[in-house]
Amino acid sequence: METFIQEMKRYLGFHEADEQLLRQLSPRMDKYLPELAERFYSQIPHHPNAFRVFTGGEAQIARLKQTLQHWARGLFNGAYDEAYAEERYQIGYRHVRIGLEQKYVISAMGVVRAYLSECLLLEFPASDERLRYTRSLSRALDLDLNLMCESYMHATLENLRRLNEQLERANQELAHASRVKDEFVAHISHELRTPLNSILGFIKLILDGLGKDRGEEHELLRDAFSSGQHLLSIVNDLLDIARIEAGQMALHIEEVDPRHVLDSTLPLAAVQAASKNLKLRDATLGTALPLVEADEVRFREVLLNLLSNAVKFTAQGLVTVRAGVDNVSGFLRLEVEDTGVGIPAEQRVIVFEKFVQATTDVKGRRYEGTGLGLAISRKLVEMMGGQISLGTGADGRGTLVWFTLPLAGSDSSRKASASKGTSRIRAGQ
Amino acid sequence: MNASRTILVVEDNALVAKFYRLALERAGGFACMLSEDVSEILAAVKAGRIDLAILDVSLGQSEWEGHPIDGIDLARLLKQHAPRRLPILLATAHAMAGDRERLLAASGADDYLEKPVFDASLLVEKVQHLLGASGKVQGPTE
Repeated sequence: METFIQEMKRYLGFHEADEQLLRQLSPRMDKYLPELAERFYSQIPHHPNAFRVFTGGEAQIARLKQTLQHWARGLFNGAYDEAYAEERYQIGYRHVRIGLEQKYVISAMGVVRAYLSECLLLEFPASDERLRYTRSLSRALDLDLNLMCESYMHATLENLRRLNEQLERANQELAHASRVKDEFVAHISHELRTPLNSILGFIKLILDGLGKDRGEEHELLRDAFSSGQHLLSIVNDLLDIARIEAGQMALHIEEVDPRHVLDSTLPLAAVQAASKNLKLRDATLGTALPLVEADEVRFREVLLNLLSNAVKFTAQGLVTVRAGVDNVSGFLRLEVEDTGVGIPAEQRVIVFEKFVQATTDVKGRRYEGTGLGLAISRKLVEMMGGQISLGTGADGRGTLVWFTLPLAGSDSSRKASASKGTSRIRAGQ
Repeated sequence: MNASRTILVVEDNALVAKFYRLALERAGGFACMLSEDVSEILAAVKAGRIDLAILDVSLGQSEWEGHPIDGIDLARLLKQHAPRRLPILLATAHAMAGDRERLLAASGADDYLEKPVFDASLLVEKVQHLLGASGKVQGPTE
């Protein structure tokens, strides 16, 4: 099969005879090459595109002058082979990579062509002879320029192909995100309508006079009220995630006593646990816990969220809370462990994405809830300078979720405040 | 007179189930059976004790033959085993565009209720309408 350079030679009518003529010319042209380099580099650096190549100052130009002479010598020595084509290709690729336009190469070649024509005029006053040499030289320069331009086209196509692939990928990711969001909206709509059903239904029963007596009406109002609270928690989750997404979640970072947070949160979780006959074990009792740097309200929210999850996804057994100081890292670590359904290893990362619930119970069913709790918790913990992660419970069943918060006055807390640029985050202060 | 009619309610949210029961009993005088247990439900249907079923689409607890079952599949199962025409009302909080047509077609249910369902007399009206349509097949039971 014909290679590209062979094809190009055939197209330009560049034959063996031309190569011979150029080789004959070689000894007589050698003396002009330094001047060629001078002329070239007195003109070409002023080309509007040239700044992309000339980044190395005088030293670079001195080097380039040598390279140009070397190239011109090669032009007359007639090795128009694959290696030569490859070299021209590489240069073209490099030009495209740095954003040097094709017109630069064309005008550079124009400078060379004009000067070499002048040289031929000096060498061969007789026009017949000069014309033969001029023709061969012109074909050689055309060949050179064609190779460069061809490489420009190839490199550009390759770039386009790559860009296209990136676009394709971005497009798929967007489509996926949009699908996840659609499912989320459908799911949220479902989640909002269920408590609304109870709220509106029970109140309407009472208004219609369908309650049996005051006692039953009171009971129905209590049911409506608890559904209202459930609805509020969903709406709060939605607002939280929207605020976090918009970068408008204001944290009030201060020194917080984790004991205080545990003491005010655990009783709430204990009520939830008791309603499912689960035991809630506080393994932090009697342990002195150091102060952390956190937003107390959000700290409590994260802890309660993890505890509620543990209760929700556990049918029987117990939920355990542990806390301990990692002195080396300067963080307090809190753990919530349950003996529930657990989260499959392959879902342990995505459950922290917003809108995602590890959709499966054992039977592959979606649980009630917005699927926002862990996403919110992760963002809040990270905004407070800590980390959150999850794994399997101690006996290989259930789930263990842990998160860290920087100890007050530690390096980690200072780093967290500094690196998070808390001016906005602390806007609440 | 509706007391001889028993409405089956399959709904996994206890409060919503409670609302259906009160609404149907108080505003319609119906008898109600609340259950999420598919074999219990099927036994009642097969025995002809159920006159109409209200099914939620998402059922958190219900299983059939070792697999989770939703209101769609349950509707088909009940239709298949009912000894006489059994009107089914699908009640769901799935309320996105196209859900109604899709769910009705998939389940073979007779009608569709979009949650929140909170007006007892409208619910009773709808139930009575569906019962009336099946009255001829059923014969005079009143």
